[in-house]
Amino acid sequence: MARISFSRTRLGIALLTLSLIISSCQSSAKNRYYGKTEAPTDNVMRYISGSEPESLDPQVANGQPEARLYMAIYDGLVEYHPKTMEPIPGIAETWEISKDGTEYLFHLRKNAKFSDGTPITAKDFVFTFRRALSPELASRSALFGYSLKYGEAYNSAGSFVKNPDGTFLLKKDFEENSTAVETHDSLGTPSDFHKFLDSPERIWLKAEGKDRTEQLEANPKLKAAIQGKDLVPVKAEDVGVEAVDDYTLRLKLYQPTPYFIGLLAHQLFRVIPQHVIEKYGKNWSKAENIVTSGAFKVTVHKPYDKVVVVKDPNYWDAANVHLDGIEFYPLDEATTMMNLYKTNDVYALYNHTPPAAWLDQIKGVYTAEYMDQPEVATEFYVINVKKPPMDNVKVRQAFALAIDRESLAKFRKTTKPLTDFTPEGIFPKYEEARKKIQDVKLKELKISEADWKKRIFDPERARKLLAEAGYPVQGSDGSFNCPSFPVDKVNISYNTAESNKAVAEFVQAQWKQNLGITIPLKNMEFKTFLPMLNKVEYDGFGRRGWVGDYMDPFTFIGLFYTKANDGATGWWKQEFDDLMTKSNNEIDEAKRYELMAQAEFMMMQEQPIIPLMTQATNWIKKPFVKGLYPNPGTLHAWKFVYIERDPNKWDTDVDNILKNSDPLVDEQLKQLEAPQKALEAAQKAAVAEQQK
Amino acid sequence: MQEEIVKGTSLWKDAWKRLLKNKLAVFGLIVVVLMALICFLGPIILEGLTGIAPDYVPKDSDLVKSFPPSAQHWMGTDDLGRDLFARVLQGGRISLMVGIISTIVSLIVGVSYGAIAGYFGGRIDNFMMRVVDLLYSIPYILIVIVLLNSFGGNNAPAVVKAFSDLFGGGQGMNQIFMLFFAIGFISWLTMARVVRGQILSLKNQEFVLAAKATGVSTGRIIFRHLVPNVLGPVIVYATLTIPQVMLSEAFLSFLGIGVQAPYASWGSLANEGIKNISMFPWQLIFPGVTMALTLFSLNFLGDGLRDALDPQTRKF
Amino acid sequence: MFSFIVRRLLIIIPMALLVVTVTWGLIRLAPGNFYSSEKKLPPAIEENIKKKYGLDKPFYQQYLIMMGNVLRLDFGDSLKYEGQSVNQIISRHFPYSATLGLFAYLLALVIGLASGYISALKQNSGWDYASMSLAMLGQSVPSFVIGPILVIIFALGIYIFPPARAGGFMNYVLPVITLSAIYAAYIARLTRAGMVEVLRSDYIRTARAKGLSETRVLLRHALKGGLIPVVSYTGPALAALLAGTVVVERIFAMPGLGNIFIQSIFNRDEPLTLGIVAFLSILIMVFNLLVDISYAFLDPRIRYE
Repeated sequence: MARISFSRTRLGIALLTLSLIISSCQSSAKNRYYGKTEAPTDNVMRYISGSEPESLDPQVANGQPEARLYMAIYDGLVEYHPKTMEPIPGIAETWEISKDGTEYLFHLRKNAKFSDGTPITAKDFVFTFRRALSPELASRSALFGYSLKYGEAYNSAGSFVKNPDGTFLLKKDFEENSTAVETHDSLGTPSDFHKFLDSPERIWLKAEGKDRTEQLEANPKLKAAIQGKDLVPVKAEDVGVEAVDDYTLRLKLYQPTPYFIGLLAHQLFRVIPQHVIEKYGKNWSKAENIVTSGAFKVTVHKPYDKVVVVKDPNYWDAANVHLDGIEFYPLDEATTMMNLYKTNDVYALYNHTPPAAWLDQIKGVYTAEYMDQPEVATEFYVINVKKPPMDNVKVRQAFALAIDRESLAKFRKTTKPLTDFTPEGIFPKYEEARKKIQDVKLKELKISEADWKKRIFDPERARKLLAEAGYPVQGSDGSFNCPSFPVDKVNISYNTAESNKAVAEFVQAQWKQNLGITIPLKNMEFKTFLPMLNKVEYDGFGRRGWVGDYMDPFTFIGLFYTKANDGATGWWKQEFDDLMTKSNNEIDEAKRYELMAQAEFMMMQEQPIIPLMTQATNWIKKPFVKGLYPNPGTLHAWKFVYIERDPNKWDTDVDNILKNSDPLVDEQLKQLEAPQKALEAAQKAAVAEQQK
Repeated sequence: MQEEIVKGTSLWKDAWKRLLKNKLAVFGLIVVVLMALICFLGPIILEGLTGIAPDYVPKDSDLVKSFPPSAQHWMGTDDLGRDLFARVLQGGRISLMVGIISTIVSLIVGVSYGAIAGYFGGRIDNFMMRVVDLLYSIPYILIVIVLLNSFGGNNAPAVVKAFSDLFGGGQGMNQIFMLFFAIGFISWLTMARVVRGQILSLKNQEFVLAAKATGVSTGRIIFRHLVPNVLGPVIVYATLTIPQVMLSEAFLSFLGIGVQAPYASWGSLANEGIKNISMFPWQLIFPGVTMALTLFSLNFLGDGLRDALDPQTRKF
Repeated sequence: MFSFIVRRLLIIIPMALLVVTVTWGLIRLAPGNFYSSEKKLPPAIEENIKKKYGLDKPFYQQYLIMMGNVLRLDFGDSLKYEGQSVNQIISRHFPYSATLGLFAYLLALVIGLASGYISALKQNSGWDYASMSLAMLGQSVPSFVIGPILVIIFALGIYIFPPARAGGFMNYVLPVITLSAIYAAYIARLTRAGMVEVLRSDYIRTARAKGLSETRVLLRHALKGGLIPVVSYTGPALAALLAGTVVVERIFAMPGLGNIFIQSIFNRDEPLTLGIVAFLSILIMVFNLLVDISYAFLDPRIRYE
């Protein structure tokens, strides 16, 4: 009797659950939209922004979850275009760039104010830039300010060397291939500081300790020259940023850095209030003290629960801000996010949130909601080229060729197969240059077009290469094996995440099928994995994803630049560096891209990485949220976002959302960009006039 | 009960009889034994008969997705198109192994530790029990992270490697077995407390005093005279440890530091399944029900053993 | 009794310090640090960070500074959440876990005591088997399965309760039920076992013999005796519950201390981990003490010297 009653209860519960689950699935499948879909009665956006923000101070936290929030509460000189993420005017209404590309002059709006009503002037930007680079703040993003003259020197606590006669040692005297540009054309009214910045570059010593010793050991001439001389620490005031007047800001770079203007929209350079920071110190960014510069201001910050921002009436463009407020919810569990979305408690999620397994049901069915566009992000496996057997380029190529990328992309559902290092479909002009370079190189190397195309998946060649490397693959299709390959010396290391695990399992199966080699997997929690990757201590393969910081291929290829590069493979080549250095000093865009493409080709021939896929945005939004676009970095300029109450005007075809026009957003953009476009047109006309 | 003692049956026979009278416990015992047999032999038989291995990913990219149960795949397939039945069997192996190994660790370490503390008493006991309290308070996730990092994969100690070799060996298996030991490292604490309590109450009884008087060595007294007398509660507690440890492993899987892929445990399968429940309910139902049924049976068996072996104590 | 309490209270301090020390050592043994990220930092920036947080000092100095902070009960600022003090974080998030935990335990007590009590009175009946089977089931299904199933039924299927996030009373219903399941099951089993034993004992027989009414015997005498195992279980259970249960907090996006604790370990946020470890270990020891004291009231045979 006991057993009967128990099994009945059990069965009953199981059946009840099952039927409820199935019925809930069916009811949602009948709808046009995923779950409940009703525009909110208030004019407030509700958004899931990822993990709890580390801080509301934009120079402290460097992650994406924070960046999504900073987009609402801080404004920079420039802002990201809501669709393309190209720079559009922010607090700088217009700007000029010198012909050699090393000097920028920004003309600020006169009506920009902080949320407490204090006007924003060029001095605030000078403060912002200097603070970003101050060693005391120790910002993790400070790297982005290294393009500014003496920015790195200041951030590294470096020192100039002063001669007894008051002059300083110059860089050109101590470096053989000095890249320092000596002649400049200048913009705006000259000043003493400007003259200092334009004078020949001073050499600076690294901070006292190991770094400086190494620097001096490597340069005996410098070591001799500094004996008995005064060392003058590099100060904040030496950095290449200057307030020409209250509404004119000048920046000075080392090199023409074409992507620098886009980088200025990064959180590190968004303006912060000096008067508040000096008053409250590290507590300035608490909700009760914080003063912001963006379209919205913070009213509530309940950690691990929500950040509430409301429209700021002091914002210079307040007339064009549509939402009354935004609630950001920090959340980590993808299923929970999807549930909240389904019940209409949130209206949009950040990128890579719907689990891949769900996409069959979501993609294609909810065409008004699912965002599938290429991202400025790639996923690849790095290879430790220092440890055998992966030190053999043939082995590396064999493993790269033995993954069916088409099939991988199909399995992951949102991604696109990738065979180069830079993502596909993001940098069209660069891709043209790359195609051109590849054609030339293929002729040089006598590789046929057909063979080149097969690098996406060529198991036969992979087995041949392995055999050449001394690891012959035996057997026939379906039962390959390669007993001589030392599987105990390699593994696929990855940090714990559902998607990383799925990809690793897939790749493992591919290698087993095509090469007969079962590479063990090794998952680790993130902080265990990182040092192993960064110090190149892993064996074999390591999973890596790379998200571009700005819209230029350099954000990818630059990963392998310099000997101490961040490529995490141990690979480095002087010829590669030379090409990259050359490209950095090239002003002509097409030539610059070609140089970079050559470098990329050279690197990929040596296969320190196995490219896997270009990421897709992969997020969802309710159709009544408009002006929110699947841009390549999933950073939204919130002032363009609005809630549409008329269901007839809701988004229907989100696959073409980037092409379709939205009169409201387009008009807003046009007005914003008009002065800068006019200025550029005038400059072009002037150049044309001169040439005549 | 008193009548039985008069009859003079041995404790073990007596307990066995009582256990057989408890229908739920017998049910539990049968299910556990069957489950163990199926999980340990099943994958071999299944692979031999049908050629389906738990980590087999179909070559045809159209098949690399989750299919509902069919004649070919009794429990359907997972996201990678792998046979879920084979994975549930393999998961069972891992889940039962984690239960068994951690329990062995907790038996060896916990029993000797508790017995020594209880026998010597006084300051030694006080000190040893404070160490247990200390270990209770240290976040065990941190312990797992440190142990796995220092002794995982190729760095695994010889004991771990020996166990791992029984199941095919390799870096992945080493990692899994290291995880088992890490879990075991924490699970002996309660066992030590239980044993200590029992020994404390036994050590002043005549048979111990007699042994001491005849000059039996301390080690012999503890392990030959005292420990056998507390085996009842120990076995009972061990049976109850297995489900607890399996849930701990499931919890670690939930946090993402559980069993190494492509291997799976019931916990990790259920964790994957619950995420896809509204799309592919079979991914949760089969591993979930199998796991619940096993834990269910282990708990019944544990309760039954407790009643049978040790009618006096009813709580731990 | 009084000296017993004082002695137990005194040992809490050195024990907590020891726990903090060992945890500190483990954090230092674990690879990675709070600032390591996907993008490798230039050495100069790493130096700046080390200097800012005093990580460039020798180990023993760092340890002494840390212990000094702990002794002043000021754990300093979180490394991950710049400008937020550990004490602030604990006092802000503990109430969420405490609310969840207390309600879950109360619910578990009501369900567990009632079903355990009835099971014991009607031993080997259908009711007994059914409720005990249900209890076993509650103990056999992990909460990361129970939670989402409740959500699917009561938030997505029929919208009665919100699927996640903190908020009003309604937001707490599903997490509380999820959290209480395993405890209710355990309490039911403990109550039943305790009651069965008590019902067979001499003093119940005496009470009955004295002619007390059956209700009085069962409610006053038997229940009181049967409660002891539940009480001894309450100490550790409540401490664990109040500290928050990671799984439930994650599934229901509740800003409780449990999830923050786990995250702090994964983030290598040393001051935060140490602060919570110290807080929790003290909490657990105090609860255990309270449990020991309450024995004395429930069971006249127990005396503390």
